Amino acid sequence: MTDTLINTLTCENLSKSYGGVVAVRDVGFTIAPGEAYGLLGPNGAGKTTTISMLVGLLKPDTGTVVVGGADLATDPMAAKAKIGYVPQEIALYPDLTGRENLRFFCRLFGLPRREVRGRVEEVLDLVGLADRADAKLDTYSGGMKRRINIGAALLHRPELLILDEPTVGVDPQSRKSILDGLERLVADGMALLYTSHYMEEVERICHRIAIVDHGSVVAEGTRHELVELVGGADRIELTLDGDVETALAKLRGLGGVTEAVRTTAGSVRLIAEGGRYLLPAVISTVDGIAAVTAVEVVEPDLEATFLHLTGSTLRD
Amino acid sequence: MRPHPVLALVAANLRRHSRDRVGLFFIVVMPFVSIVFVGMALGGGAAASRLPVGVVAQESDPVAAAVLAELRAHPDLEITSVGGEEELRAGVRGGALAAGVVIPPGSTTFELVMTQSSGSGMAARSAVDVSVGRVAAVIEATRAATSAGATPAQAAELVRKAQAASADVEVVNSDTASGTPRGFAYTAPANLLLFTFINSMAVAAALVESRRIGMLPRAFTAPVRRGAVLFGEALSRFIVAAAQAVLIMVVSSLLFGVSWGEPFGVAAVVGVFALVATGAAILMGSLVRSSAQPSAIGPPLGIVLGMLGGCLWPAEAAGQTLTAIGHLFPHAWGMDALLTLSRPGTGLGDVLPEVAVLGLMAAVLLSLSLVLFSRRTRTL
Repeated sequence: MTDTLINTLTCENLSKSYGGVVAVRDVGFTIAPGEAYGLLGPNGAGKTTTISMLVGLLKPDTGTVVVGGADLATDPMAAKAKIGYVPQEIALYPDLTGRENLRFFCRLFGLPRREVRGRVEEVLDLVGLADRADAKLDTYSGGMKRRINIGAALLHRPELLILDEPTVGVDPQSRKSILDGLERLVADGMALLYTSHYMEEVERICHRIAIVDHGSVVAEGTRHELVELVGGADRIELTLDGDVETALAKLRGLGGVTEAVRTTAGSVRLIAEGGRYLLPAVISTVDGIAAVTAVEVVEPDLEATFLHLTGSTLRD
Repeated sequence: MRPHPVLALVAANLRRHSRDRVGLFFIVVMPFVSIVFVGMALGGGAAASRLPVGVVAQESDPVAAAVLAELRAHPDLEITSVGGEEELRAGVRGGALAAGVVIPPGSTTFELVMTQSSGSGMAARSAVDVSVGRVAAVIEATRAATSAGATPAQAAELVRKAQAASADVEVVNSDTASGTPRGFAYTAPANLLLFTFINSMAVAAALVESRRIGMLPRAFTAPVRRGAVLFGEALSRFIVAAAQAVLIMVVSSLLFGVSWGEPFGVAAVVGVFALVATGAAILMGSLVRSSAQPSAIGPPLGIVLGMLGGCLWPAEAAGQTLTAIGHLFPHAWGMDALLTLSRPGTGLGDVLPEVAVLGLMAAVLLSLSLVLFSRRTRTL
């Protein structure tokens, strides 16, 4: 109970099935005020279903969602009023201007009439579109649309901002502008739930990250804690030409190598403590069995952790 | 003061429609182009035109002369003398004449020629019955006076006095059918139904677009009841349909002098038909995937329903089978009601069955479409 009062978002035991297929199983996490929380997972992992339940579009089979002390199931209007939701698609009227779109959302969220004008101007300034406010949305660039898409979720000053892939298809300049803006919002005390295919974005702005796979949270923690899950081991990717199976067997016996797997016909992945220093030994171990045609050493990072936990890259 | 989210949705949707130039052309200009050209082709004129009735008779015969005089005096009939029976039958068969009357010399038994399925023929028959009845009454009154001992001159004088007295009797509510109106009086209601339906279907494109871009799911994440969002979307479409109907009524009244009839009756018919069109638009907006589909499917569908419902040509020209099929759809009921109301002395009470059927169709369509629409917008 204390948690639900302290945290901006508390969700517990969220589950959702479609027929016999489990889309989300027992997902739970909390987000504190001023905290940015990342949700990472490959396509089909259950991120969108989780978000649909958090914003009230889907009714969970089990579990609870409490936003700013309001239970989404028993007091949906109060809970929804505390959430700003930025969908992945540009969910705005393309034939209305940026200003008209923002006014529409002000009215939809029930802002008092006298506040609408001022709040629209504030948000236009915040997203840097004051000078294009009276142009129709279908004349905006992709980046401008993304910015106004985010702006529409900020009009009612939500306690929790939920963003689903907010930078898809955006040029680097706009991406930087969006991320800078989000960091300012978090610094001002807004809670953030962020999903993205761009690992570097999540690493940059999220304080804590949950890795979701097959509908469940498989790991959760700060970036440092997650990287620690796979240890400080480096990942060595080898491309071999020759007797790959024999080479693999030899590499498994090499001191310092904790894991050796064949990834494709001619490729082998090694996980090794201080792997970058082990390279000469690796090459001499396979000498005469297979020729090393390519080698890559990857230091531990979130991408490596994600790969280790889900078996796939984020863009798979 | 907090604005109502339903009004926010309606305002946004109407603003979007007002910026669709092609859509505006089809709402503001196209109906009147159709009313003018089809109306002129059907004889122009705002009032119900007179029914052409051919007569084969010798005017030297006193009974024939009396009947002809009555027929010519009837306000709904246009009497044409025809040379012979064959020519008369050919005229009726070909549709040039609504009906024909053959009056043999020296006989009081007349032959009425008409086609069974013709509404105009039925209307002409009714008018002919009235005229012939008046002559029969005079003959019968003269016979009665003569039987009572009056001389032919006295009998004629008595009958003349009786006729003069009966002229003081005012018929305030005649249920004599006047047949299908022609000209603008026909094309204005026909195009009202046609374009209200077609343009409602076409504006469903905006609904599909809102669904496709995720605008509606996003609206559902606001602190607004799901029903309010659905109601806002439905109300937007109803306003477009009703505005289309009102525009056609006002402009056709002012420019073409079309008389629509008793206002409550017309409002009821147009209101329920606009609800039917709204239901059809939401159904379309729920079923199709692309925003290009409503404008591709809507007009042909609307035209076919209009054909079956008598919006493109009088239902009587379509024959009984097509007319019966047409009554499976709303346009036929709308046409029946609006044409009934265009006749003098009719009102809401005369079109209650049509209003009830249209109301039922609207209820079914709206319920079905809103359930479907709600399901289609449930997830992200």
